[in-house]
Amino acid sequence: MNEQLHYLKSALQKHSELKYVLTSREWQTDFLRFYQSQTNYNISKDSSSLDAILYKGKKSCSFTIDHPDKGKIDEALQTALDMIDIMPEDPDFVDVEDDLTLAAPRKIVNNIEALGLDEKTRILGELAKRAAKYDFELYGTFICNYQSWQLLNSNGLDKTSTQSPIYLEVKAVHKDSQVTVLETFGGDDFKYFDEAAFGKSLLTKVALAQNPVVDVAPGEYEVILAPRCVAEFAQYLSYGMRAGSVDSHNSFFEGKLNEQLFPASFSLTDDPTDPQMIRMDYGDQGHIYRPLKLIEDGYFRAFMCGQYYHHKLGLPKNGNTGECLKVNAGNAKLEDMIKSVKKGLYISSLHYMNFINARETSLTGLTRDGTFLIEDGKISKVVNNLRFTERISRIFENVIEFEDSAHTIPFSDNYGEFSVNSSRAPHARIKDFNISSSTRTI
Amino acid sequence: MKQKINKIINDLAAPDVSFADVRITITDYESIFFMNANLRDYSSSKGSVAIGIRVLIDGCFGFAGSKDLSEASIKRLIAKARANAIHGAKFQKEKLTFPALPAITGEYEHKPEIDPFAMPKAEKLEFLHKLATSIKPTGKIVYSYIATEFERQEKYYANSEGSYNHMIVTNTLPMMMVVASDGKQTQSRTWPGHMSAGRAGFELFYQQKFEENAELIIKEATDLLTADVITEEKADIIIGAGHLALQLHESVGHATEADRIFGQEISYAGKTFVKPSMLGTFKYGSDILNIYSDSTDPKGMGYSPMDDEGVPGRRVDIIKNGILMDQQTSRHIAHKLGLEPSSNMKASFADDFPLVRMTNLCIAPGKGSLADLIASTESGYFLDFTKTWSIDDNRNNFQFTTEIGYKIRDGRIVGIVKEPTYFGITPEFWNACDAICGEEEWAYHSTFHCGKGEPGQVMRLSHGVAPARFKDINVSVKM
Repeated sequence: MNEQLHYLKSALQKHSELKYVLTSREWQTDFLRFYQSQTNYNISKDSSSLDAILYKGKKSCSFTIDHPDKGKIDEALQTALDMIDIMPEDPDFVDVEDDLTLAAPRKIVNNIEALGLDEKTRILGELAKRAAKYDFELYGTFICNYQSWQLLNSNGLDKTSTQSPIYLEVKAVHKDSQVTVLETFGGDDFKYFDEAAFGKSLLTKVALAQNPVVDVAPGEYEVILAPRCVAEFAQYLSYGMRAGSVDSHNSFFEGKLNEQLFPASFSLTDDPTDPQMIRMDYGDQGHIYRPLKLIEDGYFRAFMCGQYYHHKLGLPKNGNTGECLKVNAGNAKLEDMIKSVKKGLYISSLHYMNFINARETSLTGLTRDGTFLIEDGKISKVVNNLRFTERISRIFENVIEFEDSAHTIPFSDNYGEFSVNSSRAPHARIKDFNISSSTRTI
Repeated sequence: MKQKINKIINDLAAPDVSFADVRITITDYESIFFMNANLRDYSSSKGSVAIGIRVLIDGCFGFAGSKDLSEASIKRLIAKARANAIHGAKFQKEKLTFPALPAITGEYEHKPEIDPFAMPKAEKLEFLHKLATSIKPTGKIVYSYIATEFERQEKYYANSEGSYNHMIVTNTLPMMMVVASDGKQTQSRTWPGHMSAGRAGFELFYQQKFEENAELIIKEATDLLTADVITEEKADIIIGAGHLALQLHESVGHATEADRIFGQEISYAGKTFVKPSMLGTFKYGSDILNIYSDSTDPKGMGYSPMDDEGVPGRRVDIIKNGILMDQQTSRHIAHKLGLEPSSNMKASFADDFPLVRMTNLCIAPGKGSLADLIASTESGYFLDFTKTWSIDDNRNNFQFTTEIGYKIRDGRIVGIVKEPTYFGITPEFWNACDAICGEEEWAYHSTFHCGKGEPGQVMRLSHGVAPARFKDINVSVKM
């Protein structure tokens, strides 16, 4: 693969008038999908590709070659060279990335090889047996990816990066009531997977799911948000911290740098270095990816900005992409947080969120995979899935307290080449969370 | 390629293989993105090859896919697909089976009026640049874009029952958007909305009248900055065809994908409130509601002589006179439900695993024009151009916001409202449908971006719809 990359680079060096960014990618996945405590399907996929972006002054043209060879490269390059002069200009383009900082080398285990299908099905089989005692069946995915890329550009940047994320998502679903609870593991090091603790946590949730199912009326509730929900709301909030959002006038944070917008207990960092997360070496266009404080003690501190918008908007360049978000833990014990709720909700997971107005951070979405009623400081009943319509900024303004430890939450990106990333977040207790309707279903 | 794919089928034959199929796709793709009248991105890929091999062994499917079509790669993929099936079967309680089907052959080539890959590139870029310049930020308009994607895909399919299919299609997705701001808020308008794709070439830009509507969306986005919001709790709403296509997609299309009944999509896309016992009895909608899945109509992007497991294209009544009659199925699920397979198993590219997918899911037309429908509405809103969509895990509770609402009083449009939002429960909503416009308003509205499955796939599919009216719908969402 690198041979093809360097072949293209050599060809481009004959064209001194061009700037370029070249990326070669190798990607593999082993993907076990299960339902009703059995295999749905097993998938193995691999791909290799070569991406090129060519610039001639302020004109650009890009192409992708899957499974490249020299013949395909010659043809694609000639087509691009023939086209670039007729391209309209982008006057805002100045230069390709010039950050040549290299990340410290890391040893990457290929988890596709390290974690075979037999081991995956053994783990699932054990969990399925334990869940079956409560009439629950398991649904979900157990995925290992192995992906690497090399990026070269005309400013002398030459970087490689490898990742091998693991994603285990187990949903336990009651055979009759369909009440569902969720447990996940994500990371790039399987040594952090504690099989006993994972099973215990899942079974604890299964026990809570034995409670009767009720509905609740729309209105404002005090809620305990599970780490997955806190992480997902933080992800949506971070969209407005991207320089591109400022440029398209969709950013809640435009003009608010260094203003206190949230309680002092809320801090949010984009941190690609945490070993308990899926780590990343480089961010946008190959810029070194380093921890960046986005919200510090409630103050908005930074936009995530790459080369293009750095020149266009004058924002400091950092190359951060928001794929490794961490919400700081607080001081409260989860048990005490629940005890302090007289009547409220515990929300495990969110579903199908979409902005109504991104600049205002208003959105709607639903609860999923375990919504519980809290009465007099105890989880008492299962609640049908609920719809909320809220402003994310208001949700974080309404934080009462955060749990004293944060948890790694994996997320899968299903709209591009399948990728897995992670966030870390604690539970959060929030006041006045707006439930706008009930789904009447579990 | 036909010989190659048939050879792979022969190589897959083994005593333990009860079914096998192979797909190969060759895809050309081009996307062009103008931001604020500047060309921000032009990208393309040509002749991207993918192959997928699926085998059923011991009642379990194993699959392997790649973009490498070499002999060595094919040998590796066969071994991997077999191993995946054999290992998967160890964690299985119920062996997957389905009845055999007779061998069939399909051959189809769609030829666009203006081939976007063959037309002069300068002509294409000049048209788009001119269009982008016509919506360039000025005054209250602070951001604009023109986005277009062109795709040509050639697909080969063969299975161990002797079926073979070869087809070539071209699809286009054009879109433009403007954002207006008064410094405090932003409002946006798109044209022609989010279901703008079609089985067509560059002619789609002319058919959808982009140039003619540039000024309209600038004016409407600007006017929305000072528009009111809906204040009523409930109202009668007429939903325009572009947005109704998405309403249909989310609350009927995905709800009647039968793999969801068995939880095969719980881990990502979700479940459905539909139960097998509802078939033939459940009142999904009002008596005038007829919804069908039709993969036999070549005008829609869901057309195919056969699906991706060898089922011939079919038109199936999903809802007949308001009653739920059938489901979108795979061969396995259809067998479990006692139904005929509906020809809805599709994969986006050959290296994707086929899933139950919508093809051309349509609402049969009723009577009359949109103008007639508005004229017959005493008080209500005409909503169109999707802004926000969301639906629950069971496809029961939805909430949509459109970019604009047109206020109707005494049969006439008298103003606009911003970000009109409505919500409801799926069967209650479709039972509130009291009018559907006729043939003259009926058209396909299509998307490139229906996400489902893991690893994720985005499917190209179409919805044939005409505007329709719904009575007494919740239009007040407190926040």
